Amino acid sequence: MSILGIKRTPLAWLNLTHDRRKFATSMAGVGFAVLLMFLFTGFKNALYDSQVQVINRLNADIVIINRLKNNMFVPEPFARRRLYQARAFDGVAATYPLYISDVRWKNPVTQQTRPVRVLAFNLADPVLPLPGVQANLAALKLPNTALIDTRARPEVGPRKAGVVTELADRQVRIVGTISLGTDFASGNGNLIMSDQNFLRYFADRGPEEDERSFATADIGLIKVEPGADVDRLVQQLSEFLPNDVKVMRRSGPGNSFEAQERDYWRESTNIAFVFSLLTVMSFFVGIILVYQILYTDVADHWSEYATLKAMGYSNRFLLGVVIQEAVILSVLGFIPGMLISRLLYTGASNAIGLVFLMTPERIVNLYLATFAMCLISGAIAVRKVQSTDPAEVFG
Amino acid sequence: MKRTPLAVLNLLHERTRLLVAIAGVAFAVLLIFMNLGFQGALLKTTVTFYDQIQADIFLTSPQSLEISTTKEFPRTRLYQAAGVAGVERVMPLYLESLLWRNPETRLSRAMFVFGVNPQDPVFAMPELQTAAARTILVQPDTVLIDRLSRADFGPQTVGLETEASRRRVIIGGQYTLGSGFAADGTLIMSDQNFVRFFTPRSFDQINLGLIQTSEGANVPAIAATLRQQLPADVQVMTRRDIIQNDLLYWLENTAIGFIFTLGVIVSFIVGTVIVYQILYTDIRDHLKEYATLKAMGYSGRYLFVVVLQEALILAVTGYIPGFIAAFGLYQLTFQATNLPIEMTLNRLILVFILTVIMCSLSGLISVRRAVTADPAEVF
Repeated sequence: MSILGIKRTPLAWLNLTHDRRKFATSMAGVGFAVLLMFLFTGFKNALYDSQVQVINRLNADIVIINRLKNNMFVPEPFARRRLYQARAFDGVAATYPLYISDVRWKNPVTQQTRPVRVLAFNLADPVLPLPGVQANLAALKLPNTALIDTRARPEVGPRKAGVVTELADRQVRIVGTISLGTDFASGNGNLIMSDQNFLRYFADRGPEEDERSFATADIGLIKVEPGADVDRLVQQLSEFLPNDVKVMRRSGPGNSFEAQERDYWRESTNIAFVFSLLTVMSFFVGIILVYQILYTDVADHWSEYATLKAMGYSNRFLLGVVIQEAVILSVLGFIPGMLISRLLYTGASNAIGLVFLMTPERIVNLYLATFAMCLISGAIAVRKVQSTDPAEVFG
Repeated sequence: MKRTPLAVLNLLHERTRLLVAIAGVAFAVLLIFMNLGFQGALLKTTVTFYDQIQADIFLTSPQSLEISTTKEFPRTRLYQAAGVAGVERVMPLYLESLLWRNPETRLSRAMFVFGVNPQDPVFAMPELQTAAARTILVQPDTVLIDRLSRADFGPQTVGLETEASRRRVIIGGQYTLGSGFAADGTLIMSDQNFVRFFTPRSFDQINLGLIQTSEGANVPAIAATLRQQLPADVQVMTRRDIIQNDLLYWLENTAIGFIFTLGVIVSFIVGTVIVYQILYTDIRDHLKEYATLKAMGYSGRYLFVVVLQEALILAVTGYIPGFIAAFGLYQLTFQATNLPIEMTLNRLILVFILTVIMCSLSGLISVRRAVTADPAEVF
């Protein structure tokens, strides 16, 4: 402190670090509360974020979908000629069709079939700019080949190149891998194949399944020319194209494919309620943990606080000390809590294939919650100090 | 012999801290209850409708995963099963989903469809037991709709016409079933209508075979016979088996199992930390007294028992408010979300055992200091 030119004893710091072991426990306490909050908000966000990650990786500014497709679960394709119509507009640089189908995949080890999702496109189109796709373009051109997602659920069996098994009761050879992750609509994982192979598997799947052809596509990707006004183009396309399709921005707030998907999951599931409740409860657990720590500190230094008061320090000063302790605890507890949460996120992400993102915004929000938590506990713990009567303590 | 209840007195000594300690344990208990409750409720929604299906034995394709992802198998297997002694009645169940258009918003959503022979008593819902219901079902393009379907499907007035998978459809009546995770809403239609809606599906390929056994029959024995006699292209499951199978599917194949189990584990650890803090502080505060006791000849074992007693008292006193709060939050959750979240006896016992383990564990960690207290050193 002398560096700042103020010669004051850093009472809050000394109080906290006085007993090293207790200090470590205190930090662990705050850290655990932080971990709990990170865990539950993380699950909530992961469930939402995972639903839109494929959408956000599509190489498009604008998408065209069937009007009925109000979420990725709805298997309604649209007429591909709408995509050709869109090409005539000024500002449209390119359009690519993406074909999607859910299909059964046989785990080559257990022989069990599991549903997976197939994403297919013309290999000449840069539809999904993933490194795995670029590296395997040549191999994907061969008949009955596909790429598998290394982050697909373990139920699909080995997720590596060289696997030969059955897809839609037809042989398939895995020639490479991508890293994408699962979501609710993708079943146990994603496969990528060429549009030619897509026809081989899905043009004629027998009486129970719909047949697919190039006449329809599931998602139409529109790439705009640099500098074009995307919103205006969306409006023009919506006006001009028939009512059987919906034209939207790919991502972003407002009228976008991503927002539509997020809204669907927000409205049709209780995810938000469940995890918000758990987060609020974690917050209270944190208050209790920090209160215990501060209270023990106050109790331990009871006579010292009384002495300070007897010396003429005001209640405000004592309040300041306890609040300082709360702030120090919130910072020092948050860091390990966050680091452990990071590990936990990675672990959970590997275990279930969902995306766990720790964005700066989420970190700041949770830090603010931690800070509030410590402040509330500090405010409760300090009451006892304030009512301290030196005469009583040394009575 | 009257003994000083040392553990109780130690805890009661500092009232406020005791209250906070109890609150801490209670919150840990509450967190565990909520995690288990949410998991249980989400899983339960997926199997509730089995309660309404009147069958003792179920036939499915070995490739079926759970009710909403089934694979068809030949109806012949069901007729083969009908020949087994003790089988009273066999009924095919056709399953598929279609896009139901909300006539008001004109938006379509996926609806899960049960196709049944109107003469078969497949469902136990009272609305379906009447002759009137059967008359409605046999009419072309007429369906019954689940009252518990999501509001997004639109009005459910009888006689309402809308479009389902590009075909006109008329609501003939309603029933109460619920479908949870697997579907947003359900319909029941006759097998004739089912084939109309889902051409080119035929009557010969069924999704689920329902078998009713005669009064007092030995169901597991019949299931075993069926397993022996039917080819390997069908799976024979009793009611218990199939419910277990679906629950396991959702637990193991979706994130539900993982997420809430992790929630329980972390809550447990946090609870342990809270109790540890309390006991540790207590021991530190009373280190002199503990040392005195030791100097007086009390064994380390005695002190150990005292701390463990404190831990158990905290466990019990924390469990009760935690349980009560959880009960209240369960009600609140049910009102807010309609999730069938329920307190079961098993869960009460499980959480209690977890609480006791949690507190004892903290006790064990914190007691070392008291046990190793050397009177000579302390003074």
